[in-house]
Amino acid sequence: MTDKLALVWPEIWLFVTTCVVMVVGLSPDLRVRKLCGWISALGLVVAIGAAVPVAHAGGLFPSITPYAKGMIGVVGLMLLPLLAGTVDRDLDAAIESGKATFSALRSNRAEFYAFFLFSLTGLMLTASADDLIWLFLALELTSLPTYIMVTISTRGTRSQEAGVKYFFLGALGAAIFLYGFALIYGATGTTDLAEIAAAFRAQSEAGGLNTIGVAGLAVALIGLCFKIAAVPMHMYAADVYQGAASGVSAMLAFVPKTAGFLAIIMLCGAVGWTHGATHDSLPAPIYILLWVIAAATMFTGNLLAIRQSSVKRILAYSSVAHSGYMLVGVIAGPGSGHGTFWDNGIAAVLFYLLTYGVTNVGTFAVLASIQKPNGEEADDIADIRGLHGTRPHLAGAMLLCVLSLLGMPPLLGFFGKVGLFTSAISAGEIPLVIVLGLNSAIAAFYYLRIARAAYLEPADEHVETRAGPIPQRVFAAVLSASAVVLLLTVAQMLMERSVTASGYHAPHAGMADTPHEALDLTRADD
Amino acid sequence: MGVSMTTIMDAILSAAVAQHGGEAAHAAVAASHGVTGPLWIGLIPLLPLLGVVLVTLLACFNEKSKMPAWISVGLLAVSFLLTLFAYLGWNGHDAIHLKLWDWIGLSWGDLRGQTLAAGFAFYFDGLSLLWMLFVTGLACLIGLYASEYMEHDAGLGYCRFFAAFNLFVFSMSCLVMGDNLLMLFLGWEGVGLCSYLLIGYFYKKKSAVDAGMKAFVVNRIGDLGLLMGMLLTFTTFGTLQYDALFNQIHTGLTAGGTPLSQTWQVWAIPLLLMGGAFGKSAQLFFYVWLPDAMEGPTPVSALIHAATMVTAGVYLVARMMPLYLADPAHIALTAVTWGGAITAFWSATIAVAQFDIKRIMGYSTISQLGYMFAGLGVLATTGGVFHVFTHAFFKATLFLSCGAVMHGFAGQLDMRKLSGLWSINGFRVVVIAMLIGCLNLSGFPFTGGYFSKDMIIAEAFVTPDSVIAGSSWAGWLLLLTAGMTAYYTFRVFFRVFVGPVVYEPGEDLHAHDDHEHADAHGHGHGHDDAHDHAAEHFHPHGPKWAINLVLTLLSVGCILSAGLYFLGDHHGWAGGMVHASSAVVDTHAVEGGEEALLFGQPPHEIMFYISAVFGFGGILLAAWFHGPKGIAGLLIGGRTTAAEVRMDPIAKALRPISTWAVRKWYVDEFYHLVLVTPLKIFAHLFHWFDKLIVDGLVNFFGATPRVSSDAIGESTQTGVLHDYALRMVAGIAVVLVVVVLVLF
Repeated sequence: MTDKLALVWPEIWLFVTTCVVMVVGLSPDLRVRKLCGWISALGLVVAIGAAVPVAHAGGLFPSITPYAKGMIGVVGLMLLPLLAGTVDRDLDAAIESGKATFSALRSNRAEFYAFFLFSLTGLMLTASADDLIWLFLALELTSLPTYIMVTISTRGTRSQEAGVKYFFLGALGAAIFLYGFALIYGATGTTDLAEIAAAFRAQSEAGGLNTIGVAGLAVALIGLCFKIAAVPMHMYAADVYQGAASGVSAMLAFVPKTAGFLAIIMLCGAVGWTHGATHDSLPAPIYILLWVIAAATMFTGNLLAIRQSSVKRILAYSSVAHSGYMLVGVIAGPGSGHGTFWDNGIAAVLFYLLTYGVTNVGTFAVLASIQKPNGEEADDIADIRGLHGTRPHLAGAMLLCVLSLLGMPPLLGFFGKVGLFTSAISAGEIPLVIVLGLNSAIAAFYYLRIARAAYLEPADEHVETRAGPIPQRVFAAVLSASAVVLLLTVAQMLMERSVTASGYHAPHAGMADTPHEALDLTRADD
Repeated sequence: MGVSMTTIMDAILSAAVAQHGGEAAHAAVAASHGVTGPLWIGLIPLLPLLGVVLVTLLACFNEKSKMPAWISVGLLAVSFLLTLFAYLGWNGHDAIHLKLWDWIGLSWGDLRGQTLAAGFAFYFDGLSLLWMLFVTGLACLIGLYASEYMEHDAGLGYCRFFAAFNLFVFSMSCLVMGDNLLMLFLGWEGVGLCSYLLIGYFYKKKSAVDAGMKAFVVNRIGDLGLLMGMLLTFTTFGTLQYDALFNQIHTGLTAGGTPLSQTWQVWAIPLLLMGGAFGKSAQLFFYVWLPDAMEGPTPVSALIHAATMVTAGVYLVARMMPLYLADPAHIALTAVTWGGAITAFWSATIAVAQFDIKRIMGYSTISQLGYMFAGLGVLATTGGVFHVFTHAFFKATLFLSCGAVMHGFAGQLDMRKLSGLWSINGFRVVVIAMLIGCLNLSGFPFTGGYFSKDMIIAEAFVTPDSVIAGSSWAGWLLLLTAGMTAYYTFRVFFRVFVGPVVYEPGEDLHAHDDHEHADAHGHGHGHDDAHDHAAEHFHPHGPKWAINLVLTLLSVGCILSAGLYFLGDHHGWAGGMVHASSAVVDTHAVEGGEEALLFGQPPHEIMFYISAVFGFGGILLAAWFHGPKGIAGLLIGGRTTAAEVRMDPIAKALRPISTWAVRKWYVDEFYHLVLVTPLKIFAHLFHWFDKLIVDGLVNFFGATPRVSSDAIGESTQTGVLHDYALRMVAGIAVVLVVVVLVLF
């Protein structure tokens, strides 16, 4: 048990911070309550610090935790200024103008930050998972707070509607992948991922995978598609992203998606990229399943995004499409394992998650920084027309971010996408690469539409917008846009880190007989 | 980043064979020698970068004080001190290496030349140390000067200025300190960007914006040469890291094992790099951007467009000297010599006829840069590099003195409307600094400019014509130019700084608190009678402590730089620095021990007298034609007003030539005719091709996804919860059925 404890220090720190935030948020003094955001930031910084030294854990992906948790912490830190003020802005403004008085009983500020930190804790726990039960609990800890955050993020009924939809459909998704987990357990007799891997390996060497096991994997993967918003579980995305406040939408585009991909990578790792004719791909049913889902997700996301007039819905569908892109990396697998970024699909996915997370914050932050006269955040594409003339820094941030999401060289997103392309090419997935290329081109349509609205079109006269009241959001937008450019200087290092993180400890059949010894062996490798 | 893109495309194409990238790169670097430097060396560029961040933050908080200036000056001073410590701690011969992180590492195979690796790494040898000493030192001083000069713009403009100023120093440090050509390229483009931003600083003024655009476009053309040179270097030698590259050149073979002298790359690469260097340093066809760049605020002209950035081209050629020497026919070196010598002469002919004193300094910068290139070309790297160093000081002094004049006279720069600054209160420091600068520029005996220029001209005569074709002719051209330089320099001094007191304020008078205050300067037109009323009440204001302090320090620097000639064993201090760098030239080996004579004497000795004669001659001519009556005009001048001089009748007699010279030989108009107009015509043709054919195809393909999008439509997006749940379950069923169908 204590060896696992050493792995989860970042989670422990985050949890402690969460508790402190909840207590501080109950303070009778408004000024003390306002510290919640700063305490959360401090907690995240400490968690990042605690994540980095963990060099090597056991399991299928022994080195994934420092990279994943560092990435989660950094993107979390970028999300924090964007989320600031989501639930308490109106009340603070009212108190300052004397229209309302401070009531110590109203406390959803602390809850909001606490739920955010809980969700990140769950996400980090997903990265540490080495067991199906742990994985399930971590995934649910990631998602449950987000249901509430969506619901309370605005005062309008739309966010309540979005929250209800998200919750019910999320429960359906969770039920499906839990069913898949149960089938896997039934087929292998264990919940430990490394032991499951060994059992699958033994089965395939003995003549073929257990049908129940494969069915379990397939069902679990489909269930996880809900987390990453992939076809056919993508339905909720547009409604929920649009209904929630922009900050929460930005969080939804990163946190559950990262959790989903970490889980998918682990499940695929459990069955291994050691099947097929040349022993370098996933087992045929899983391969076809992911192939169909990836292609369908890319096309659906991009084609639906074209017709939207709401920027949030565009970004929601583009988020669906990005999941499709990343599934290509999962299908390609870790490659020859000889350590370059360019043929390692898992490293490409991990790096892509980082680039997507960093860039995505900026697009939503720009929307969150613009307010309509009725106090709502900007949403329609008409709201950002002529943005360059009125708020050039926001327009610039939007431009950089959408170009990066589009994968325009030389921005950060380009390097993310290059990895997906090259790994898929070296895995021989040429048709999928063509689909990926086609979809990148289609995506240009709506991304450039956003850029065009901000830069080339004049502002609509009847659409009135003004600067939002929270300067931190502008900061988040500018921070994200600068990161898109400045991270290029260290992109090489980040790519190398992602290669290290994707280090895949292929299972071998011997582990099935004496699983505990085998686990000890992996630790001896350190 | 342009480089990385193209090579990444290679990487994509051959990713299937991608393997161990890093190791081949490390093997290439392992051959290097030298010492690993302490980590704090990394702070030298990073502190100015921190300055960018801090000043930007101040801009965010709408700071109105002089805080941005103090932060910048402080950080730059620390940067300079660190450079000084690095210099003092340097062992005097080995290069200092420091790698901060791996920056780019692309690999498509294990062989040599299949890994493009570049660290974010620094390389300190004599050459880069010498450059960094004056870059950081001058940046710090000029930042202090700008704190006062830009004070009318306190607020966002002030922050914008200092953010770009710091970013410039960061980029320049990357350019100079980088340990590979990619770092140099990063800095190269970075300084280009900052130059563009700062030339166009007064963005409401069309001429400034146009000048920025011109500088940017002209530089892009040169950069194409640099980029192609770099790519060819990589394909030929398999590396861009300096040590590995020089080791490879030293073997006399390409990475593929072909003897260098048999390849075409051996002359093509240096010529292409020369194209980049000429663009950045405004030589030959490329010089047109630099005079217009004087639209920027004067501290920018002093730092970027006189002392540091424009010498980047000289740095590139000096740094790549082994590559230039590898060609047995010395084609590129000959081109560098003649390019430099012709530019030096050509821009001097323009400078002689101009009336805007800042533009004259601009043309003299081009001319002096020509000297530096000619020096490198005739193998006088020590002379070239020493001239960079002395020029940095005296040209900064000259520009800052002109800036002080401009600052005091509301943007007046026309020498026909200013006279007798010596007798106006508060300008004495400026006049003395200007005199020291002028003496240096005109090569007055025993000034720094005298020693450094002599080394170049003498070496032009020493180097036999068989090694560098026409080297001695280039020497005569440079000598003639030296005389002209002395003439036009003292033309400015005698007309503006001494003589009877006459002044008219410049265009900025009415716009005292306007954004454009510090700049808008006279072009010799636009001073109509409307100004007269205001002019009656105009009182010039002399500079305050910051400007005076900087001018004093720089003047002292100018004087001390002459003393460097007497330090060390290798023709002065600069020679010692060059000797400990890649720019060192073993002249005996290259020239075969043969030394040409001038008038039967060794050129290095007789040159001291010859060039002194040319210098004195130029000054005396200037005194005769432009000097005021009395002792300030050396007793031979006869000027009693600001506008009328003895030169006027001669200029009138030579009207066609003098008009052409005033109009800068119509080069801009010529370029417009032969380059810009055809391009515009092509642009219109391509526009129609694009509209009719390309757009038609694009629209056709663009319509396809839109139609399919309509087909899927939002019909599936009802927004009803149970619809979604149903569709999700149905979707799962469909996917599973597809899987089963495909399998069985």
